[in-house]
Amino acid sequence: MRNSAQLRHEFLKAWIKSLKIYSNLKKNMSISHRKNAIKLSADVAIASITQKAKPSASSHRWTQSLMADAASSDDGTNRIFVEQTLGYKLGNRKKSPTTGLMTKCSKKILRNNIRVFLGKSRKRTTPKHAKAGSIIANKGVEKRTRLLKRLVPGGEDMDEISLMEEALDYIALLQVQRDVLKQVAAVAESLRNLKSVN
Amino acid sequence: MESRAEATQPQFRSGEMGFEFDEINGLFSGPPEAGGSSFTALLELPSPQAVELLVKEDFPVKHPPPPIFPSDFGLIDRASKFSVFASAGNPHESNANSIYSLLKLESVKQEPLGSDSHPNSSSPAVSNQSLKSGKRKDREKRVKESSKKSKNVVGNEALEDDGEKLPYVHVRARRGQATDSHSLAERARREKINARMKLLQELVPGCDKISGTAMVLDEIINHVQALQRQVEFLSMRLAAVDPRVDFNLDALMATEGGSSFDNGYTGIFPPPMYPDGQASSTRLLQYPQQWHCHELHQLGWPTREDDSSNFINPENSLLSYGSSGNSASMHSNQVKMEL
Repeated sequence: MRNSAQLRHEFLKAWIKSLKIYSNLKKNMSISHRKNAIKLSADVAIASITQKAKPSASSHRWTQSLMADAASSDDGTNRIFVEQTLGYKLGNRKKSPTTGLMTKCSKKILRNNIRVFLGKSRKRTTPKHAKAGSIIANKGVEKRTRLLKRLVPGGEDMDEISLMEEALDYIALLQVQRDVLKQVAAVAESLRNLKSVN
Repeated sequence: MESRAEATQPQFRSGEMGFEFDEINGLFSGPPEAGGSSFTALLELPSPQAVELLVKEDFPVKHPPPPIFPSDFGLIDRASKFSVFASAGNPHESNANSIYSLLKLESVKQEPLGSDSHPNSSSPAVSNQSLKSGKRKDREKRVKESSKKSKNVVGNEALEDDGEKLPYVHVRARRGQATDSHSLAERARREKINARMKLLQELVPGCDKISGTAMVLDEIINHVQALQRQVEFLSMRLAAVDPRVDFNLDALMATEGGSSFDNGYTGIFPPPMYPDGQASSTRLLQYPQQWHCHELHQLGWPTREDDSSNFINPENSLLSYGSSGNSASMHSNQVKMEL
């Protein structure tokens, strides 16, 4: 059973490997370039260790969409880099059309409409205002799920249940990424300070 | 030094997910030899233990290792969540598989639920012989035995993937609730969503106290955004550091032993691709620590890190190990113990 320490360690290894590949491909990067390189290689490293950890997890949308994003960025070198790191060729992935746009309504209009609707319907026996309240609450939840869908890579066309699973994995891996980056950045900075002292 | 190492060690271990992995470790340590079949794991369990496991509050408490028991919905979901990282540690390999197949238990519908010895349903269910339900909703309603109806919701979808598409969902309607298929399906779906929401609440710090789906989702979104921002800033920080300092790990990985350390240090960025995957992993283990030690020795620095207080604890403890022994193999052993 892998614990978080092991995960961090694997991530570090994969990340360094991908950094090396990247820097082999491109020399003399500017700072912003470097930052993107770091981030990109970190993301790719995350995806690769997820694949290694659980083969079925590679069916997770976010790994695929991460790679799609990485591969489709400006220059073709990125794509080569990603493919090299992962060791296989990426298929061309089309972005599926986003699911239907929700029209915005104000809450009040919504509530009135719902009340009217419930008044007409005879099916439910629960009191109307209770139902309206829960529907309003669900609207809040829906808004936030939409936000979450936008945040989690690849989350756009997923249903709620799998969205939450993906979010779980994504959060966990973000934490791993952040921790390892924090460590490495701290080490690098203190070493630089040490150097400048002498 | 040693005490400090030990003090920092648990801190390192109990990371965000540390304690939860302990629970799961407890869960795994009672292996059902049934291996891949989740169902036989179910059958091994006598019913009082099952009932005990059904109570979710017991879960954080460590009791003598409970066998893997999927009846608790939250258990499955926790297990499934952790199963993404479930390792190929060999004694646990079969368990990992069975945990993942436990996730499929949601979907596998209790084919031979005919046997009353099925421990999952704590109620003897004398009233319904024909429709056995194995569903976890029982958790809340297990004391109510009478006037329960159960119903099958049939969805003819493939069993293959993530376990969300179910051929059968055995659902027990609660007392006094509507039993048409729509509301039952809705309820099943809601239960699933709530279970996953619970898992998310545990993962995100500070979410336990909040009640209400919308607020919890708010917190989750904030957390994800914060994490993304942090990763971005950290990578910016790293990029701002002189690359020569940064990528020396590569140089170290390419060179043999710590003797050529000086050359590696002013080193070139980047070295050629490292071909040997296996050896590199162990070297990676060794070199960061040797790197710190040698670096500091060169500068006449004591091996205790004083002012670099932002060294994360594992580095400190690894350093303390490093000062005691200098051979590479010893390092790797110690580091392996550490990790």
